[in-house]
Amino acid sequence: MVSNRIFIGAGVLIVAISSFLWFSGSAGSSSVDYNADVKPILNKHCMGCHGGVKKAGDVSFLFEHEMLEPGKSGKIPVVRGDAHASEMIRRILSDDPDEKMPKNGTPLNDDEVDILTKWIDEGAKWETHWSYKQIEKPEVPSLNGFSNLFGLLNTGDKKWATNEIDHFVLDKLKDKGLKVSPEADRATLIRRVSLDLTGLPPTEKQVVDFVNDKSENAYEKVVDRLLKSPGYGERWTSMWMDLARYADTKGYESDGGRTMWRYRDYVVKSFNQDKPFDKFTIEQLAGDLLEKDKDGFPLEENMIATGYHRNTMTNNEGGTDDEEFRTAAQIDRVNTTWEVWQGTTFACIQCHSHPYDPIPHEDYYKYMAFFNNTRDEDVWDEWPKMRFYKGEDSARVERVKSWIRETKPEQLPEVTQFMKVMEPKINAHNFIKGDQSTVLLISYYGVKNNGNARIAQVDLSNADNVVMNIATKAENAVLSLHLDKLDGPVISEIKVPARDSVIIAPIAKTMGKHDVFLSLKSPKSPDEWVRITWMSFQKALPGNDKPEYQQIVADYATLLTHQAESMPVIWEGKGDFARKTNVFVRGNWMVKGAEVKPDVPKLLAPMPKDASKDRVGLAKWIVSRDNALTSRVIVNRFWEQLFGKGIVETVEDFGSQGAEPTHPELLDWLAVKFMEEDKWSIKKMLKTIVMSSTYRQSSKTDEYKLDKDPYNIWISRGPRVRLSAEQVRDQALACSGLISDKMYGPGVMPPQPDKIWQSPYSGEKWTLSEGEDRYRRGVYTYWKRTAPYPSMVTFDAPSREFCQSRRILTNTPLQALVTLNDPVFLEAAENLATKMQKRGKTPEQQLKEGYRMLTFLPIEQKNLNVLVKVYNQALDAYKKKPVEADSILVYGKERTPELAALTISANVMLNLDNVITKE
Amino acid sequence: MEKLRKELQHATLLHQTRRHFLQSVGFGLGALGLGTMLDSCGTSSAADSPVGNIAQSRIPQFAPKAKRVIYIHMAGAPSQLELFDYKPELLKYHGKDCPAEFLEGKKFAFIQGVPKMLGPQSRFAQYGQSGAWMSDYVPYLQTVADEITFLKAMHTDQFNHAPAQLLMHTGSPRLGRPSLGAWSVYGLGSENQNLPGFIVLASGGQQPDAGKSVFGSGFLPSVYQGVQCRTGGDPVLYVSDPSGMNRDMRKQTIEAINEINKQTYEDVKDPEILTRISQYEMAFRMQMSVPEVMDVSKEPQFILDMYGVKPGEGTFAMNCLLARKLVENDVRFVQLFDWGWDGHGTSKDHNVEGGLRQKCRESDQPVAALIKDLKMRGLLEETLIIWGAEFGRTPMQENRNGLVMPYMGRDHHLDAFTMWMAGGGVKQGFSHGETDELGYYGTKGRVHVHDLQATILHLMGFDHEKFTYPFQGRNFRLTDTEGKVVKEVLA
Repeated sequence: MVSNRIFIGAGVLIVAISSFLWFSGSAGSSSVDYNADVKPILNKHCMGCHGGVKKAGDVSFLFEHEMLEPGKSGKIPVVRGDAHASEMIRRILSDDPDEKMPKNGTPLNDDEVDILTKWIDEGAKWETHWSYKQIEKPEVPSLNGFSNLFGLLNTGDKKWATNEIDHFVLDKLKDKGLKVSPEADRATLIRRVSLDLTGLPPTEKQVVDFVNDKSENAYEKVVDRLLKSPGYGERWTSMWMDLARYADTKGYESDGGRTMWRYRDYVVKSFNQDKPFDKFTIEQLAGDLLEKDKDGFPLEENMIATGYHRNTMTNNEGGTDDEEFRTAAQIDRVNTTWEVWQGTTFACIQCHSHPYDPIPHEDYYKYMAFFNNTRDEDVWDEWPKMRFYKGEDSARVERVKSWIRETKPEQLPEVTQFMKVMEPKINAHNFIKGDQSTVLLISYYGVKNNGNARIAQVDLSNADNVVMNIATKAENAVLSLHLDKLDGPVISEIKVPARDSVIIAPIAKTMGKHDVFLSLKSPKSPDEWVRITWMSFQKALPGNDKPEYQQIVADYATLLTHQAESMPVIWEGKGDFARKTNVFVRGNWMVKGAEVKPDVPKLLAPMPKDASKDRVGLAKWIVSRDNALTSRVIVNRFWEQLFGKGIVETVEDFGSQGAEPTHPELLDWLAVKFMEEDKWSIKKMLKTIVMSSTYRQSSKTDEYKLDKDPYNIWISRGPRVRLSAEQVRDQALACSGLISDKMYGPGVMPPQPDKIWQSPYSGEKWTLSEGEDRYRRGVYTYWKRTAPYPSMVTFDAPSREFCQSRRILTNTPLQALVTLNDPVFLEAAENLATKMQKRGKTPEQQLKEGYRMLTFLPIEQKNLNVLVKVYNQALDAYKKKPVEADSILVYGKERTPELAALTISANVMLNLDNVITKE
Repeated sequence: MEKLRKELQHATLLHQTRRHFLQSVGFGLGALGLGTMLDSCGTSSAADSPVGNIAQSRIPQFAPKAKRVIYIHMAGAPSQLELFDYKPELLKYHGKDCPAEFLEGKKFAFIQGVPKMLGPQSRFAQYGQSGAWMSDYVPYLQTVADEITFLKAMHTDQFNHAPAQLLMHTGSPRLGRPSLGAWSVYGLGSENQNLPGFIVLASGGQQPDAGKSVFGSGFLPSVYQGVQCRTGGDPVLYVSDPSGMNRDMRKQTIEAINEINKQTYEDVKDPEILTRISQYEMAFRMQMSVPEVMDVSKEPQFILDMYGVKPGEGTFAMNCLLARKLVENDVRFVQLFDWGWDGHGTSKDHNVEGGLRQKCRESDQPVAALIKDLKMRGLLEETLIIWGAEFGRTPMQENRNGLVMPYMGRDHHLDAFTMWMAGGGVKQGFSHGETDELGYYGTKGRVHVHDLQATILHLMGFDHEKFTYPFQGRNFRLTDTEGKVVKEVLA
């Protein structure tokens, strides 16, 4: 159907194209293209000294206006229309070694000089880099060649092509003198598409059904089934976890655990529901600011989504400055957002303007201002966290809520908020320490007898109570709060309980902002520390005239004191808790420059006038139609996962230093379709790609193609890519029948060698999971940043301190050792052998079956002979020494030499190239 | 196999001719992996191997003085004031309040308020022809004083262990950059076909504070990361075959795998398969060579005695002996970490008196033995030994939480500390840099971490400003945007 639409316009198109070619052929062929011809020369030779980092001689080529302004010498680098008068050309051509440009660099060659000269003579036209331009849906190339001028014959390319993707690809292939490959055989194809869409191989039955399905839409049915399977969400979550730098630990030196798995599960569910990508984006970047539930609190799912930017690291190391590491987290959020959604390296703009792309230094901090209002402050236990109450505490929450609903419903949002995220509150690391005071647990305030502290400028106007988390072993300690001075009037006197609890104490009614002074009297245990982790000045709960009031207040204090399962979330600071953002001079967070307001870089489309200048506005802008960069970047990411290589190879960098797209029109076509037609549905986008004939090609190649296009840039054959770390594991478990399909929940700990976890200052241990948790998919494996699961790292998984767009595939002997000797793979081999044994009587039959279970293909005789040989060698050895068979078989009950030999053969098969490769 | 080898070389050459290195990273890592883990495919030397040349042709280079490096890192940071930086004046100030100018605008990990000065806890004398000052904590090292170049005015920017270790090894205090060893192997490749080019050995019961990242590959491909050899369990993860499988059987299985993979290659012509075949061959060889090189039982008794090693012990001394065996087998970069040098004065083990003395007792003899052993074998000239930590210790006594510590201890100090180098291209019996009379600041010949890195790279034949790798639109280098070669210490 798709093709029909193209045929109709074909005749007109041919006329249009041929007339354009004629025109450009005669008059325009000499015209210089800024992006294609000029910018690369500037980047290579000039921008190092005359760009965003340095502006030697006050000359820069970063922004259009800069190149037209006189430098220090008073001369103008680029005079439009007159290369002769342009200082740039004069200096390039100069013979004087003091003047000649580039200084100390390789001189420009003649071609380069010609291009620059011609460019200036033609008016030095400036152009936006391709990826930052707006996009419209490009025309789909016609397939009608001279042999089939009017598209009447349905032959050749036309017959091969399934959808528009194929038109774009064929167009390039013709240019390069390459031909497409035939469709892969059905077994290979279903294995490929299953691994690509769900991360798992197909079952044997699925393969047989597909091979025997004679209906026209047999393949489409497979694709639709895969898109609906729960494994789909898990597979794409593996990709997203690298982009979210998800881990189950906090990072840095102590790298203690954190509860983040709900965020991972949110991602799995979002993919499986095919949540539109724009919504998925907005929830993760601004979930806390979206719609509220009946209690005035954001939806739970959206709150969990904000875990995205709480995957930044938290530093619990002694002596560190929480503010420094809060800043580091903020910077990471900016950099990650830019890399993931805009494919642009923003990190360099932290210290100076972008070296190559026209983005000024201040824009970094304007962008950071969107994020900088969040309440997380790198405190030890990672507040703010959302609390998930259970059992009796959950009942307490409901009692408090219904009490407020009945007495003073307008107070419900703030009380609900405090019960859920305990905000707003003053973290005790902000106290200004006085006598007998210190820092406890890196972040908190410790005080002893006669000690004191000051809390600066607290607005007490609406406060009836002080609520605080306080802990001590001291008995009879009394904490008093004084107004304005250390010996100022006492507004509250608190008997500190000798345990860790949240207490609520009344304070004297006071108007306005005041410094509040704490002082502690603890004569009975003068050497015991009293630790304060936070304080919050709050309105009292309503309804104090009713008899049950005390019970409700007790419920409130109790549920706040009790430990609840909780996860770090993003929470916006408002009023006194809002922050200003300043430029950091040369990237140094201690040297603050001008204050900035949130805004997006001018390089891209502006935010709409009515957009809110907060994270919601930002997130909506990121996925707006005018900012098409996002769609280009995202479509390219998915393409890269399927083909092993993006249309823009540098998936992380769409800037002028990144790679050029191989198929720019195809990328734009996919990007526009993703936004307009698919309405950001990832499933629809993926379906379009995997339905294409381009994707379905056989990955076999030949000398000619290898010679012409060794890296398959032009896609004249199907993708052939080694499986990812997760897939290598999941496939072995799946084919051997061990895999668990259990979804969700805390990270699991499958077998790993001893002594992998040896981090100082942390008592945490790798505790081997039991039952089916040993066999869960890789995406559920507990991820410790300083000691990630070893076999995953060997297969190129990152440690996830920072977002990583691309896993650069390696091929190393250490990988061989994993699949040969890791007990996980040996267990898979034994299990596979047990299954093989049941499938056939003779070793030949059994080996054939094993090969089929892994590749879904019949084994060639030559290869079968190799397996039979290794089987017989092993069988001989085990018959001679049955005790060896006993040692190799550790998982099942049977201990025969035959099963041992089959296990050895299965070990061979699990290591075959075509098994650990997606073909 | 010869035909396959030719095809592999052909495939590799294809990778090389890529105009843009980034592109070859994207596509042809297999061949690149080969280039580092085994420089050639069975042919003789690195020089005539096209694979090995990938690294060499890429980078501007001058003749390396140090072909191999052994980097000994004392994690936690020993006190220079008890070992090498002799400060008799400090003894006079012992117990007095720290001068205010030392404290103004300064931040320490644990010191609060006004601490007391702490005099040296050891006795110093001069040793060797060069008259190097050393303390009685290091009696063995005294005997090789004339082999050593001291850097007495080292300084850093970071006062916490993990970031300071990262800065020292990766040039940046944050995670994510390649380590010195990774850069070295990326640049020079490896000369041993059977062992990884970058091996890490840890002792002291703990990993370094910053974890694997201090020997990671950062944004370089993962083949360049340090491979940790362990003294308990498998020396390299999964290097041992499962019990019930003997060497013959492993050989037969790998032959079978490669035989079938060869068929697959004939069928689909993916050059990556050829790389995989050779990686399985190397895996097989590593299974032999790693346990072999990690096994010291065949070392003569006098060598074991010289290091103070008992076979079977996972000690620092053992790691020194292993380091020698590894460089003897042409491993490019050997990184030793020894944990437990953090002498705050908080416990019996962590102080600058008995605790430090004990750590020296365990490490002084083997370090001196390593220098002697390498020299005896003619390896010292081409092997650079670096000894040091992530920072130094304060001339003040630590007063954590305003309390008096139970033992004599010093806090982390970033303005002055001592490191030393020996062998490969550095002067013998030399001392560079001086600190003030209390050992607080460097007054002469200050060397920043980035300067040290620039110097190490220089010794290995690299101009640190030109030795870069493109990542995220920028050319990154080990020394970030800083660093000056310390010419004074070059032989």
